[in-house]
Amino acid sequence: MKLNLGNQGNSVELRRPSSLADADGGLALAGGTEVIPLLRSGILRADTLVDVRGVIPRGISGTEIGGGATLAELEVDPQIPDVLREACRLAASPQLRNMGTLAGNLLQSTRCWYWRLKWPCRLHGGDECFAHDGEHREHAIFANDFCASAHPSDVAAALLALDATVKTTSRTFPIGELYRVPTEDDRNITTLGEGELILSVEVPECDASIYLKAMDRKRWSFPIVGVAAVRRGSDTRVALAGVAPVPWLHDGGDPTPLPRNAYKVEILDALVRRATAAL
Amino acid sequence: MARLIRTEKEIEGRYEEVWIVVEEDALDQWPAGPLEIVGKPAPRMDGYERARGEAVYTADLELPGMLHTAVLRSPHPHARVRSIDLSKALAAPGVHAAIGPNDIPQLVDECCYQGHAVAAVCADTYATARAALSLIEIDWDVREPLLDPNEAVARRSFLSDPRVRERGDADKGLAAADVIVEGEFRTQVVLHNSMETHQAVVQWFGDGIDVYISTQAIWAVRDRVAEQLGVAADKVRVVCNYMGGGFGSKNGPDDYTFIAAELAKRTGRPVKCALTRREENLAVGNRNATIQRLTVGAKSDGTLTALLGEYVNAVGWGGWMAPTDGPMHSLYACANVRSTLYGAKLNLPPMKAFRAPGFVEGTFGLESLLDELAAKLGIDPLELRRINHADHDAEDDRPFSSKNLLECYRRAEPHWERRHEVRARSTETVKRGVGMASQVWYGGGGPPSYAWVRVGSDGRANVVTAMQDIGTGTRTAMAMIAAEELGIPLDHVTVSLGDSSRGPHATMSAGSSTTPSVGPAVRAAAADARRQIEEIAEQRGTPDAPLAEVVALLEDAQILGTGARGPNPTGMQVLTFGVQVAEVAVDIETGEIWVERVAAIHDVGRVINPLGARSQIEGGIIQGIGHTLSEERLHDPKTGTILTTTLDAYRLPTIADVPEIVSELVDEPDTHLTNLGSKGLGEPPIVPTAAAIANAIRDATGADVRSLPISREEMLRALREAESRKSGEQRGAPAAV
Repeated sequence: MKLNLGNQGNSVELRRPSSLADADGGLALAGGTEVIPLLRSGILRADTLVDVRGVIPRGISGTEIGGGATLAELEVDPQIPDVLREACRLAASPQLRNMGTLAGNLLQSTRCWYWRLKWPCRLHGGDECFAHDGEHREHAIFANDFCASAHPSDVAAALLALDATVKTTSRTFPIGELYRVPTEDDRNITTLGEGELILSVEVPECDASIYLKAMDRKRWSFPIVGVAAVRRGSDTRVALAGVAPVPWLHDGGDPTPLPRNAYKVEILDALVRRATAAL
Repeated sequence: MARLIRTEKEIEGRYEEVWIVVEEDALDQWPAGPLEIVGKPAPRMDGYERARGEAVYTADLELPGMLHTAVLRSPHPHARVRSIDLSKALAAPGVHAAIGPNDIPQLVDECCYQGHAVAAVCADTYATARAALSLIEIDWDVREPLLDPNEAVARRSFLSDPRVRERGDADKGLAAADVIVEGEFRTQVVLHNSMETHQAVVQWFGDGIDVYISTQAIWAVRDRVAEQLGVAADKVRVVCNYMGGGFGSKNGPDDYTFIAAELAKRTGRPVKCALTRREENLAVGNRNATIQRLTVGAKSDGTLTALLGEYVNAVGWGGWMAPTDGPMHSLYACANVRSTLYGAKLNLPPMKAFRAPGFVEGTFGLESLLDELAAKLGIDPLELRRINHADHDAEDDRPFSSKNLLECYRRAEPHWERRHEVRARSTETVKRGVGMASQVWYGGGGPPSYAWVRVGSDGRANVVTAMQDIGTGTRTAMAMIAAEELGIPLDHVTVSLGDSSRGPHATMSAGSSTTPSVGPAVRAAAADARRQIEEIAEQRGTPDAPLAEVVALLEDAQILGTGARGPNPTGMQVLTFGVQVAEVAVDIETGEIWVERVAAIHDVGRVINPLGARSQIEGGIIQGIGHTLSEERLHDPKTGTILTTTLDAYRLPTIADVPEIVSELVDEPDTHLTNLGSKGLGEPPIVPTAAAIANAIRDATGADVRSLPISREEMLRALREAESRKSGEQRGAPAAV
């Protein structure tokens, strides 16, 4: 099937494989809420899109959640921990949550406007972070020296706090290992290999959990700061969204805010205090 | 009889002296209060068409053979095109024509803001046209942009000469003050972001041209298209039957209309030029940023002795100087007022009118500072406003045609009283408070506008007037006025509008002027028709027969009534007034703000349709909340490149941000203004919202927010500032003796 994206001259081939073995050889597409806008703005390029919705598991079985489950399905599911359900509910808009999948959400790109507008920044392989001396009020307050982009996924912070395990087409590993802070030598923010697809996420049980999110309007907003906190026994694990180039495990390290985003530290401190108190 | 008069014409606070011919307005006003139809709530007559998707907007239009256009816009805020080659784009399959700099005046090679149009391509599909843009070879000479408004003022980069307005002696007034408060306020650039992007479809017929366009001013489009293209005005037909929002940004033809016209001429085909959402966020106008340095002096009893303002409008590369100084000169009775207004010309996209331009920004500064004064004097903010109420237009020393602001204040009292109970609901971390702000704005409309009313033997009437309904529901208001005057049911009236070749001239839908300008013409036309019908009844010997019985005699004959908008009252200032009371909650640890309730009381003369009026108030307040809390167009501070070009980055309020809104209208006809006594309501409700919210935040927290939007960053900054002021006061307090 040929797909016309509206503003690319060439149409794109859309494949709908019926088995995982058949799913490579193109750019994977599930809900499309991230891939399609990135294709339209020319950040992603593809001749072939592979609709993986038919081959990636969805639904919940015990503590395992299919990568193809939509956020809308998760936000109403009583089986999953509060932190994940809330993170889903507070993400995006109902329309986007109806389409967007768990796996896709984990792999979304930063909202950094310089990156989205294709400035030749470090994340795009260039040699400058334009946000550092530019508009960075929404940017990272941790690990922001090389690249100040902020990771926008609420769901990733929730799963990081839960210490979830990710299963892909080639391996199984803790979600913390899905992400890497970009460096001079490697600008990627995930460790996924070529053609590697997330199949499911194993979410271990916990005693209590919560997700708190600061936005600049009441809904349909990426996190200024998202705080996911999970308690097991007397151990509380806190992970953050919107504060570093990757989902960030809050281990007491000091933030290094830029001139215009120090306010995020204040919000972060208040929300962490509230989240841990609530558990 | 027609009369030639020299009159002052006002649109959006811009005045010009013009000669116009007006018809006398001989009708007496209807009695005050709800009538049979006028003054009672009526649902929009086009509501079903809109809801069902049957209403055809310009964006829906598909003419046979129509081509689609993509526009190449400057990616640089300041750059010159050294060379450009369209040949590869032109040779691409599916491309029909390409035009570049100087083919038409709207395409330029000296680009002075990002988004300045350079070239355009039309093709069978938009995708093909868009792809062809990348085949255009262009060599840029990129220049240094001027971006800082203060630097522009220092370098005297002005859009037009600075404007000084003064009455009395502000320096003396300041010297006579017991208390002086001052502050610097800033407002941001916000965008209209209409649901329907700017667009036109153009088709030539011989030496005539049809322009289908999303516009709030079909006659302005007609005249400017005729002028630039050298076509007789009546050979330009401009059509806009339904439109998806304008808010001041669609008052003329703009680049896309002339691009489509040229491409249509070259191809002999109808051509659509529709802007994308990203272009909509870039190059179609904005509410300009402002810097306001204000000083207020007052006696200890609250009487204002001096108001001083230095205003910088950061207008971008074009537009005009909106009256940010307006509220300072028109809201209060103060005898000594002086302001200077600068229009800083910058390498940023041009401003355009945006729902009460200037007054929204100026009211935020002035009404915020007035509350700081009230706090300093220990006077109730509502009382302070009553003390300084202006009984007449002090700037030009003339009476108001009508003013019920004191009545608005009286009706605001129960809402204002809630502040004790609201504050009491504060917690350790969430502080609650109530704030208010007054509203002053234009909205009287004026001549010329005309209407025809046609009554057939079926007892139904058709109102014909070439106005446009920009979505405010004026179509329904016109039908109500005609039905009332004719004494027939509302569903017996249809309205034909939005077509310059099928009806007489009517006002542009800007400056809250459609209802007060066209409404009286419609009533006059309906009265003319009614008079003719009564004459027929008289001749038949049944003077009291109902209309339906009389016109039933007509068969194919029709009664044709004509009407015109009469003059505005001479020697009087026509303004709208109001007050809003906002209730907010502020999380003082995270800077989160909830607007929980807004009560709005406005005075716009007679209300034609209370249901439509309420929706205008709600829309204005919601748009005002976006302006106050979340919307901001950002540019990169070094290069001037716009960073917020999509709706995830440019944050309009969502339905979850909308508070409880209580709206009330004084509904007292302005006895001096036309045969209706009605003023406009499109703009007034957005004017005081930002100031009322900022004042409620001060009431809740003691923090002075001075910059829009009141983001988390600004809220937390203001809270820290208030905290350090408080501890400074405690340290510096004189020891008890």
